[in-house]
Amino acid sequence: MKHHLKMTLSGVLLGAAALVAAPTQAQDFDTMTAEELLPYALEEGKVTILSLSSRIAQIKTSFEEKYPGIEVEAVHLNSTRQIARLQAEQRAGIYAVDVLYLSETPVVYRDLLPAGMVEAYIPERVKADVPEALRENLLTHRLSTRALMYNEAAHPDGSPISNLWQLTMPEWRSRVLIDDPTQRGETLDLLVEIALQADAMAEAYEAQFGKAIEVDRDLEGAGEQFIRDLFNNDVVMINDTQTLRSAVGIISEGSKPVGFMTYSSSRNNERDGMALQISNETVPGAGILFPTVLALSKNAPHPAAARLMIDYLMGDDSPTGGTGFEPFAVQGDYAARRTIVDHPDAIPFEDLNLWLIDPERTGQARQRILDLVITLQ
Amino acid sequence: MNLLTARVPWLARAVQSRDFVPLIMLAFTALLVVAPLMMILLATLTPDGQAAWQAVTNSPLSRNLWWRPLGNTVILGLGVTIGSVLLGGFLAWLIVLTDVPMRRFLAVMSILPFMTPSFASALAWATLFRNERIGGQAGYLASNGIPVPDWLAWGLVPTLIVLIAQFYSLAYTLIAASLSSVSGDLVESAEMAGAKRGRILFGIVLPIVTPALISGGMLAFAGAVSNFAAPALLGAPVRMQTLSTRIYGMVQTGNIERGYVLALLLMIAAAALLYFSDRFVSGRRAFVTVTGKGTRTKRFTLGRWRWPLFAFATAIGVITTIVPIVVLFASSMAPRPGVLFSNWTLHYWIGQGGTQIAEGQAGIFRNPHLIDGIFTTIRLGLTVAGCAMLVGLMIAYTIVRYKASPYTRVLSQLSFVPLFIPSIAMAAAYIAMYGTSFGPIPALYGTFILIAMAATANLMPYAVQSGRGVLSQLSADLEESARLTGAGPMRRMMEIIVPLAIRGIMAGGLLVFVKIVRDLSLVVLLFSASTPLLSMIAFQYASQGFMQFANAVTLLILVLCLLASFLAHLLQNRVQKWKKT
Repeated sequence: MKHHLKMTLSGVLLGAAALVAAPTQAQDFDTMTAEELLPYALEEGKVTILSLSSRIAQIKTSFEEKYPGIEVEAVHLNSTRQIARLQAEQRAGIYAVDVLYLSETPVVYRDLLPAGMVEAYIPERVKADVPEALRENLLTHRLSTRALMYNEAAHPDGSPISNLWQLTMPEWRSRVLIDDPTQRGETLDLLVEIALQADAMAEAYEAQFGKAIEVDRDLEGAGEQFIRDLFNNDVVMINDTQTLRSAVGIISEGSKPVGFMTYSSSRNNERDGMALQISNETVPGAGILFPTVLALSKNAPHPAAARLMIDYLMGDDSPTGGTGFEPFAVQGDYAARRTIVDHPDAIPFEDLNLWLIDPERTGQARQRILDLVITLQ
Repeated sequence: MNLLTARVPWLARAVQSRDFVPLIMLAFTALLVVAPLMMILLATLTPDGQAAWQAVTNSPLSRNLWWRPLGNTVILGLGVTIGSVLLGGFLAWLIVLTDVPMRRFLAVMSILPFMTPSFASALAWATLFRNERIGGQAGYLASNGIPVPDWLAWGLVPTLIVLIAQFYSLAYTLIAASLSSVSGDLVESAEMAGAKRGRILFGIVLPIVTPALISGGMLAFAGAVSNFAAPALLGAPVRMQTLSTRIYGMVQTGNIERGYVLALLLMIAAAALLYFSDRFVSGRRAFVTVTGKGTRTKRFTLGRWRWPLFAFATAIGVITTIVPIVVLFASSMAPRPGVLFSNWTLHYWIGQGGTQIAEGQAGIFRNPHLIDGIFTTIRLGLTVAGCAMLVGLMIAYTIVRYKASPYTRVLSQLSFVPLFIPSIAMAAAYIAMYGTSFGPIPALYGTFILIAMAATANLMPYAVQSGRGVLSQLSADLEESARLTGAGPMRRMMEIIVPLAIRGIMAGGLLVFVKIVRDLSLVVLLFSASTPLLSMIAFQYASQGFMQFANAVTLLILVLCLLASFLAHLLQNRVQKWKKT
């Protein structure tokens, strides 16, 4: 009872008409369709979502238009801050958030999911459209990338890098750019995946140098050796996304470095006078695909509206996904629902030469690779 | 109150004790600062936290995680402190105490750098000095055939310069406030006694403003040590890490305990430093210069040095102020990042939506949230500045007046600590502590009060330090006389202390205002209303890659800060009418 009182109190303070739904109802909500959820959601009158994308502002407008009577409180927060805020709130017994839209899944799967702070909701209607790997625990909304990119104008015949190991050779010394993996989770996850793909990396080493790899005794596998060799080859770290983009991509005289960044950084090539292109042919892989997920917060104060929001964000059955998905359709990102077509200017999903990360495995290996990188700096 | 103390003897004794006021203020500070600090400390005592202590202090990682960043941090901290105090002190002397021409213009130039975000200064540096290390567009020097070595383009040296260029204005603000209360009588007496100019400066003026020099130096130190943008942008290409980039990185990659451990160690290191500087100050005699009589300032005549010094001061102002602002401005107009000075367009300010430019985004003045954002930002800035000034004045007053109490030193140390607590930790601690009802305190989650509290606690050091410099010059005789004529503590505060110390109080308030309207990480975690602040709007644009819009909003924030400083100036002139000659 005290618990409920507290929830109501904080709800009132938030200016919300807080309605504490009985827990039994929440069970049924999971199997309901959007039409069935609607009356309950209208009764709740509100939904609060934390989103890593500021495009959530467009969702607020279109959702409130489609479902008048349900107010959307959309807060734009990066994944790290969402995690910090949810943990602080729930430890204090505050349950103010309904939906989280975030990446940094290795941390989510390590810190939030086992503690029950977030839970999955997968609308029945989209289950068949989302590959199983993308809905094993939390529901993936879209996939983003961290991939090797090169300057197409400087290399009109395709990527100069056919094998990742070339990045560790003298020719590319000081000419590989990356943002600091100790500052950016996505970049760290890229290195973690390379470490986890030890066999593929060993095979690629042999293909490049014609002999089997010798791994330093303190390292586990060819992937970790690659990370050490890359740093010892003076990889250059740049913390500003724009600088990183233009350093690799700008069309001008002279040789150009290559760099790891998001594939979607090529989408404004024309506007910015750049020629960024993904080095998709590089063996054994050009980078990673990582999920951005939708999750319900524990004890969500508006459980029906929360589910309705997730249902809406997954898009309708049209090729663009309709107003619920369109704001997030970016060249270089890929919808988890395979009914939504890929951007016409991007490489089709099936042809991507990128590793899909497994958040749980990545989470377990992350610390070790982070520590390795710290010692290499 | 009097009735109560008359009946209860021990209470009367306690109230009259020299420790009473310091203890009350200490309890208050404990609530605001020590409690969140304890939460952070507790988080590092969990198994994960213990592993973090081990990793940071005693493992193969220690060297790169703690010792080398510590070394860089200390070099930056001390270098910026010395540079800022020298540069800020020189400008304060020039503007307040001499007859240099166009003083008001120079005064405005000297406060601007603190209002310019350090990423703009770092960006300006890179625009000029960028070399071939990162490929892409070369900087202006390199593209004009002047080779730029790595040490000048990246790492410690440029970071140091960029930070001094920003924080000297902090030192200037405090030292100028203190200098303005150096009585003309003192200088005149010295002149009549035949003292040379240098003698007056070093024998009279300098000792008087020492507390302000120390305060300004300490704030510059803290500012440099906790700055993230400059070392992150200029240090990364040569793998330079500071404690602030390490703390940020550890939090970002899900190792929050390591971030906390580093922050705690940084606080201990800073506290040790502070302890020595505190001893240094309190070992000296405090010079009382404000005695209630007209303290019209007497200006030194510079003679033939008037114009050369003016030119020098202007050059400093142009390099540290105009250049970053021009770069910021250019990057809000240039359609191509990296090509800052061609094809300028006003689209990012006032353009219509739905065009080919910027994926159909309209200019910032067409953003429906912008006007709301401006007002919310002003409201937050004024509230926090007001609260911090109030709290800061009380604490500074206690520190200055109750020097003898052993609790005062603790108070002085504690009031400085918040500058070293990472904002994200501060915000999380405040949610955890005051989010639910806690003793007599009601649940504050999602309220404006919680943000104001956390921000006040976070920025209190600025108010305390700037109040302290000026208050220590205030004669206790004035208060004593007022007390004898029967004025209560409130009345004494409002009618004697506040008017005489107004310049220091306003300086502190302004610093707090500038900090809070630019802050992101503290506010963003505590703010849940859907009306965003300007800093959040800028962040939203930046995170979509629309740097032009983000820079336009940043300039708007700068304009707000400037307006606030004019307002502060007007207000202090109104209060200190006697200074008009």
